[in-house]
Amino acid sequence: MTDHGSTEGHSAGNGVQFTFDGQIVRARPGQTFAGALHDAGIHTLSRSFKYHRPRGLFCVTGRCPNCMCSVNGEPNVRVCTRKPAAGDVVKPQNAWPSVRFDIMSIFDKMHRLLPVGFYYKTMHKPRFMWPIFESVIRRIAGLGEVDLSNGGSEQYDKLNLFTDVVVVGGGLAGLNAAYAAAEAGADVILIDDQPTLGGHVQHDPGSIDVHELAVRYQIMAHPRIQTFVSSTAFGLYEENYVAVQQGNRMIRIRAQQTVVASGGWERPYVFENNDLPGVLLASGAQRLLQQQGCKFDGPIVIVTDQPIGYRLADQLKQKGMHVAALVDLHDQPQGAIEGLRVLAGHTIQAASGKSHVTGAAIVPTRGGTMQTIPCQWIIQAVGFTPATSLLYQSGCKLKYNADLDQHQVTEWAQGVHSAGAVNGYHEPLVCVKDGTRAGLAAANALGLLTTDLTKRLTQLESEISQSTRDCKPTASYISNSKDKKKFVCICEDVTEKDLCDAIDEGYANIETLKRYSTISMGPCQGKMCQSASIAICARHKGIDIEAVGTTTSRPPEQPVPLGVLAGQAPHFSLIRRTAMHHWHEEAGARFLDAGTWKRPERYTDPHDEYQAVRKGVGLIDVSTLGKIELRGPDVVKFLEFIYPNRFANLAIGKVRYGAICDEAGILLDDGMICRLDEERFYLSTSTGNADAIDSWFRWWLTAKPQWDISMTNMSTALSGMNLAGPHSRDVLRRVSTGDVSNEALPYPSVKLLDVAGVPAIVLRIGFVGELGFEIHVPSQYGLHVWNTLMEAGKDFDIKPFGVEAQRRLRLDKKHLLPGVDTDALSNMYDADLPWIVKLDKEDFIGRWSLNRIKERGPKQKLIGFKLEGTTVPDEASLIVKQGSLVGRVTSVRYSPAAGSIVGLAWVPIESSKNGDIIDIRHAGQSLKAVVQDDPFYDVAGERLNS
Amino acid sequence: MPASRMWRDHELKESYDVVIIGGGVHGLATAYYLTKLGVKNIAILEAKYIGFGGSGRNTAIIRSNYRTPEGIAFYDHSVKLYEQLALDLDFNVMFSQHGHLTLAHNERGVTGLRERAHTNQLMGIDSRLIQPREIQELCPMMNVFGPQRYPIQAALYHPPGGIIRHDAVVWAYARGADRGGAHVHQLTEVNDIETPNGAVSAVVTNRGRIKTGIVLNATAGYASTICDMVNIPLALETHPLQAFVSEALKPWLHHVIVSSTLHIYISQSDRGELVSGAEVDDYLSYSLRGTLAFAEGGATHLLELFPFLANVKMLRQWAGLCDMTPDYSPIMGPVDEIKGFYITVGWGTYGFKAGPASGHLMAQCIQSGKTPKMLEPFLNSRFLRDQLVGEKAAASVSH
Repeated sequence: MTDHGSTEGHSAGNGVQFTFDGQIVRARPGQTFAGALHDAGIHTLSRSFKYHRPRGLFCVTGRCPNCMCSVNGEPNVRVCTRKPAAGDVVKPQNAWPSVRFDIMSIFDKMHRLLPVGFYYKTMHKPRFMWPIFESVIRRIAGLGEVDLSNGGSEQYDKLNLFTDVVVVGGGLAGLNAAYAAAEAGADVILIDDQPTLGGHVQHDPGSIDVHELAVRYQIMAHPRIQTFVSSTAFGLYEENYVAVQQGNRMIRIRAQQTVVASGGWERPYVFENNDLPGVLLASGAQRLLQQQGCKFDGPIVIVTDQPIGYRLADQLKQKGMHVAALVDLHDQPQGAIEGLRVLAGHTIQAASGKSHVTGAAIVPTRGGTMQTIPCQWIIQAVGFTPATSLLYQSGCKLKYNADLDQHQVTEWAQGVHSAGAVNGYHEPLVCVKDGTRAGLAAANALGLLTTDLTKRLTQLESEISQSTRDCKPTASYISNSKDKKKFVCICEDVTEKDLCDAIDEGYANIETLKRYSTISMGPCQGKMCQSASIAICARHKGIDIEAVGTTTSRPPEQPVPLGVLAGQAPHFSLIRRTAMHHWHEEAGARFLDAGTWKRPERYTDPHDEYQAVRKGVGLIDVSTLGKIELRGPDVVKFLEFIYPNRFANLAIGKVRYGAICDEAGILLDDGMICRLDEERFYLSTSTGNADAIDSWFRWWLTAKPQWDISMTNMSTALSGMNLAGPHSRDVLRRVSTGDVSNEALPYPSVKLLDVAGVPAIVLRIGFVGELGFEIHVPSQYGLHVWNTLMEAGKDFDIKPFGVEAQRRLRLDKKHLLPGVDTDALSNMYDADLPWIVKLDKEDFIGRWSLNRIKERGPKQKLIGFKLEGTTVPDEASLIVKQGSLVGRVTSVRYSPAAGSIVGLAWVPIESSKNGDIIDIRHAGQSLKAVVQDDPFYDVAGERLNS
Repeated sequence: MPASRMWRDHELKESYDVVIIGGGVHGLATAYYLTKLGVKNIAILEAKYIGFGGSGRNTAIIRSNYRTPEGIAFYDHSVKLYEQLALDLDFNVMFSQHGHLTLAHNERGVTGLRERAHTNQLMGIDSRLIQPREIQELCPMMNVFGPQRYPIQAALYHPPGGIIRHDAVVWAYARGADRGGAHVHQLTEVNDIETPNGAVSAVVTNRGRIKTGIVLNATAGYASTICDMVNIPLALETHPLQAFVSEALKPWLHHVIVSSTLHIYISQSDRGELVSGAEVDDYLSYSLRGTLAFAEGGATHLLELFPFLANVKMLRQWAGLCDMTPDYSPIMGPVDEIKGFYITVGWGTYGFKAGPASGHLMAQCIQSGKTPKMLEPFLNSRFLRDQLVGEKAAASVSH
């Protein structure tokens, strides 16, 4: 079955109309923009990056930059492979006022002033000039224009697939690889970037038997082959993870084996004015001719050293076009066609013409007189560069093969195969064999081959190794003339002379050369210029091509829209809401983001909420806390190892505050640890660190496989709420059948009780400094329990309270918040938690460091302070001593209970004693605060224990 | 007429006064400043080509709005050197100081930025907290008030921050060092360092042995491999960091935008490419292969800030290696264990912006044999003294 994707429009019988630069253009059914523009006689489609030279259709396969236009505001669209929809608005890029007359083409005249890397050598003296020059550069740089009004309304999505074998490339090799693997029993996905399968044989059947073409129809119907056309495999990531773009969809495929049969990119020939509109690559001309139904008006000159050049001449003649001459770089003509003028042993030196080709200057390869052949088209066919990007990406090793004049895989990445033209096979029948071989090899790696098929594979391998290759390159890329305007890189307007100059300046390494000259850094990413730039580098340095090496090929193989990469994700950002969320909404809560959670920050005035907890009773939703259950005979060992606290002596039914640190003794998080049974513990983490602590536990559990422990993350399975205040017990009593008296459930302890008819874990703890109960129930009953508590609390004026009130309440007690009051350097001692650290325990995480820290003594300390007056300094205010920064405020609020401003701050140890004065800088003012050791409220903890 | 050579190739000499391992911005800047101090017999050994490592892979953001006084003073020194660099080296390194914005999307983020603003101002750095309306004025095309999962609440605005042409900095320092007499040796790999009697005596390379009394390890990614040769353990973990560029577009974004909540930073070069990166990958690896997950995540977050970029194309993605220290600050200076062995390593995600300062101070350190005051907080011994320079809180996306 074949999936054409959403972009494959079926045009109506009469074709469609679109506009190009304001001009109405009609496309016949099935035509691309390129075919229609060619038919309309529009040959200048864009202006080049640096010199603003006119550019026209060149590769016609969606690789080169020449046809990049804006389509309906989308920048940098290669119109040669896209089909128009009615009313599409196409605009040329990088040209003003129009693509035919572009003022910036003055740069082309000034080229002598703009040699390679000129911008590194100019514009910086005197210093104030650079920003002025730069603002000009930033007005003219770049190609396409971003449509700032694009509202991002396009739909993008992602499809995930798993398969045995992915075949990239639907040419002869790929088709046969897919067929062979599927016939052997593998599930196959075949990907091709063109609208129809077949690759080059579609426009250049050459010697291929029509029966071979029929294979593609069998493939499209094969039950084990799923085919995606108009789909570009742009990435071959680690572990055979293939990323494909199909229109606005990304297909992510996990494959066991990948066959890369990506063919080749036709290689341009480098001569003077080789970028003029009217100069085309042979396969591009063939596509226009055979697939787009286009004609070439006027005489044509073909330059070639390949059989394809002759086949093209034949095709052109058969369609009634005028081939003025075929220039064969070989001394002996490689073919003969009746009535065709062949100039063997000749080469092209220059294209003449201003905005379009008017002639070709031809010279004998061994020197001699130049002749100019008047023509309107120059079509070049000097071979292919293998499309090795995906192979490089996958980790295959490639090496230059001088006989083939191309880089070839010498070492394949695991599960990766290559077939066809990437391997250097251009003869169609050999491609068929090599494809079949690769398909069988992939199936073999999956253990699918029968004895017969194994024999067949061995036989094919030996046949292919003996096959001769029809492509006899002359390894010519560059004409011999010395003119400047011989473009090696048409994306960035880099000429042969630019490269040679750069090498002379010292940028001789191919990677440095690339970065300095910007060759291969443009839209084609080296597809057009790779071979020639390496050859020029080798020739100019007088070394072998192999010694030059290559630049690194990186994903994506073809540029991918950010929308395709993102998919629907921007609209699907995770929002976590607790079971009571809608209740909070109805109660008018203002929410804040706590990680991915939404938490009520306040319902009404936090001051009222604060007073409700201090004087009556309040209820806060703490469902966002991390919650972990640990069971097993070795849980105590694990806890003793992971926390600096001691847990072996924690009695069943008791709760202990615990803090976790890393190997350096840095505080990571804190929470409550409950012993529910001999081998069953339940513990909580802070909201922000829930995921990190989960990973931390799993990491260490993996490191201690000998311990028999099972861990369950209950974070979202349980809702939590904290009922706090002097009347909290009265409320709980009304809804629980259990005994919640101070004797039965003293501070700090835990009990499994029934609350509002729901089994609950009830913790008698007091983060906010009052009598309080934290009630954890299955999430599906969270709202029910919450409602029941609120109802039962009515007589006591119960109030829901939010995060802001909770922060004020805990600050009264000097309870720190990890990550707010501590940072990535706060250790357990400095954070004033020395009573937690039991250095006499056996090894635990952070013990070595904490030991050291204890020995050298603390340098700074998290202290509580009291501040008189009415100015509440910012959190993050600095603490200054004699003009230098010595500390900072981490939390600060007005405390009604203390009757003053209170806070937490980091100060140097010498200013950390009870009664020390610290100098807080706020808005240019200096505020004097007093260090206080005791909590600001209920020093003796009577309220907690009441 | 062909322009003059940037740097020349040389035969390896038998001995050099100073051997610098690593041909990135740190090594080359140190060499350049050493030649200015009169130390000219220097070899820079680069295993690949100059700028192969972090210097060629970073996203070229320059700023000094750090968190600690030590860090701020140091990076400010670097920014000042960068401002003069084009003139100093007579090479246009294209330093664009269009301003740097760090976005905060939650309260904790705002507090963190406020703390930095306070500290920056105390240290005389142009840096302040700005509100969404001013963010929108500075960057009208950013989605500040539109629908966003984590709405922008404030930003730290640092006007002198900006971007630079990173390769040009490398080449310019290489030329400066070359003209000062230093030898830049590319494709020269160090295999061993000889330290009889606790002092450096020679470096063994794939091209031969060099006698020297002073070695500077100015490598990244392989900093610990080099230090292993002299048995000096480093408190480093090596993580990949990934980045990508878009196709060239007419410039429309002039500020550097950073968001730690969205794990993204973005700027637009003078060529018109959007350059975007993330925080280090959370796993340890020496792999330089990009991942699809990174490209997907980066694109997603970018579109939250700039939804109109959906049809703009990613052109290229890549990865670099970051040596992360526990406090997100570098390690510089001499080491106590071996005489003549110096390091400038652990440059995490903030190495390029520090290149000139690191080079300048390391050169002084090597030439005088004394540790400059500004370097003292960053000595390797700080880990044993337990005196870290806590940039980590500020550095969750530290560009």
